[in-house]
Amino acid sequence: MLPKAEVEETLKRIQTHKGVIGTIVVNAEGIPIRTTLDNSTTVQYAGLLHQLTMKARSTVRDIDPQNDLTFLRIRSKKHEIMVAPDKEYLLIVIQNPSE
Amino acid sequence: MFTDETLDALGVESLWRKSQQFAQESRGCQTWPVHTAEAEIQLLLNADNGTQTDPQDHLLYQLPFKGEFRPESPGLRDFLHRVEDIVVKELANNAKSHAFDGFDVNWEDPNETVSCIHCLQHPSAQEKGLQVTSISWSCTGSVIACAFGRVDDGDWSTEKSCVCTWNLDRRGLNPKRPDTVIDVARPVMSLSFHPSQPSLIAGGLYSGEVVVWDTNRTQDLILAQTGMSTDTHREPVYQVAWVPGPRRGEMVVLSAGSGGRVLLWTVDSDEGRLVLSAGFALVRQQVPHNSALSKNRGSSNVGVTSLALSPWDLDTFLVGSESGLVLKCSFSAQTLAAAPPDGESVTLRAPAQFSFSPRGGPVHSLHCSPFHRNLFVSVGTDGLAHLHSLLQPDPLLSLRVSDSYVFGVRWSPTRPLLFAAATGQGLVQIFDLGRKSLRPAATLDQLTGGQPVYCLEFNPRRKDLLAVGNADGSVNIWHLSTELTEQGPRETAKLEQLANEVAE
Repeated sequence: MLPKAEVEETLKRIQTHKGVIGTIVVNAEGIPIRTTLDNSTTVQYAGLLHQLTMKARSTVRDIDPQNDLTFLRIRSKKHEIMVAPDKEYLLIVIQNPSE
Repeated sequence: MFTDETLDALGVESLWRKSQQFAQESRGCQTWPVHTAEAEIQLLLNADNGTQTDPQDHLLYQLPFKGEFRPESPGLRDFLHRVEDIVVKELANNAKSHAFDGFDVNWEDPNETVSCIHCLQHPSAQEKGLQVTSISWSCTGSVIACAFGRVDDGDWSTEKSCVCTWNLDRRGLNPKRPDTVIDVARPVMSLSFHPSQPSLIAGGLYSGEVVVWDTNRTQDLILAQTGMSTDTHREPVYQVAWVPGPRRGEMVVLSAGSGGRVLLWTVDSDEGRLVLSAGFALVRQQVPHNSALSKNRGSSNVGVTSLALSPWDLDTFLVGSESGLVLKCSFSAQTLAAAPPDGESVTLRAPAQFSFSPRGGPVHSLHCSPFHRNLFVSVGTDGLAHLHSLLQPDPLLSLRVSDSYVFGVRWSPTRPLLFAAATGQGLVQIFDLGRKSLRPAATLDQLTGGQPVYCLEFNPRRKDLLAVGNADGSVNIWHLSTELTEQGPRETAKLEQLANEVAE
């Protein structure tokens, strides 16, 4: 499979999962490079969650320098935001679990 | 010797008064239009030597559109490969999990009770026996304006009335003394604050005039008015609203009266006038599916008693009439109205597109749901609140609100399933469509001794305030409980379900 098609396939698999509202991929500078939401919402999510992920990561490493952040979940009244961090990218998935 | 002579008149130019107009005439242009024609081109082949534009690496900072070319990000594939499994596992777990069922967090202390925090009155208006006909919150949510007039008067009224505003966030708020009192020569029937400029208020008078006041001014508060011209309404104006105008950022005033006219006015603040920019006339013959009312003789005008704008579709608006019709209208309707021209400066159009099942008496209030594009609620003299979908003529649901007339209804701005209705018995009934029972979730007694409640408005900014205007000339500000203002978990879904039911 072409590398580009594989990326799209993977994102589509995640997006079509039960209850998923949106999927965003953010690069290391906090700039969204793939999204299924509208422009303004994407920019908002990308900026805020990038900062929050960095803060969460530094919190984990401050407590124990040998430890590192693997996954971040924020549960709110209306839905759940999941962030999978990495050195170069960030995958944000917004899911409505009660659907 | 003596001869008749006529002398030329001598003119002395005024030193202090300048001519108001600058007369200008154009005689002619100096150049003739230049005619050009392509004869032949010299070069046979062309090649790009160099371009001036910047190199294209700024593309990376733009958001790529789905499905089009996008720059390949190195390592993206591997990254997704790594995280896909864990993410999908979490998503699946989350969908099945019951870990958070019924788990609620208390960020603020919940307010269990509904209480009346202010009772605003204007003693001189109350002495005259004036009633509160309309209230409006400013866009900031801190100022409430109320219009005094009379609803029960059948006669042409020349009574003086006023418009009062109170700023609830100000310290030293005196409920008996309004911050601003605008004296008006006629009873005011409707009021509306500008959606973005907190000092402008539009009001519709009993005489058919429409006025815009600017509370920022110190002297004459009238910014613009229609005056009594051939364009104005001839009958009381029951509803005014601000709608977006043709140019971006501009708002025009919409007024609807019992003469059957819905008119749009642009504000010309330099001249102090409201200029008619477009108009609609509702005539009985042009109302669709009108079989039920064709037996009724009388004027062919459909008097408008209430109007609702749709927050979802800027082109649609709903009109409730004196005879019980509820019509769906469009701003972009092109058919000309069958009303005889009355000297208006704009040709009137017929806006009605769809007619819902008619009621027995005047429709006093309509409101479109802020959470669902097809739902609206209407109330009138039959004491019922009808929940309609825009897609079908019959109501989806009819709730008994009171045994007497119902004068106002508003959807809650925070809870999709909640709406409040103002009755003629002095009560405000709040209904929660999520409950199984059809009885109201809460009843607010206005303590007016059984006098009707004419209008109610939710505060657009502070979600727990509800203002209610009574016939005894007072405005009560209610603080609602958390149960009535916090959105529940599945309300939007339930509303969607309700909207999709087909009426039997």
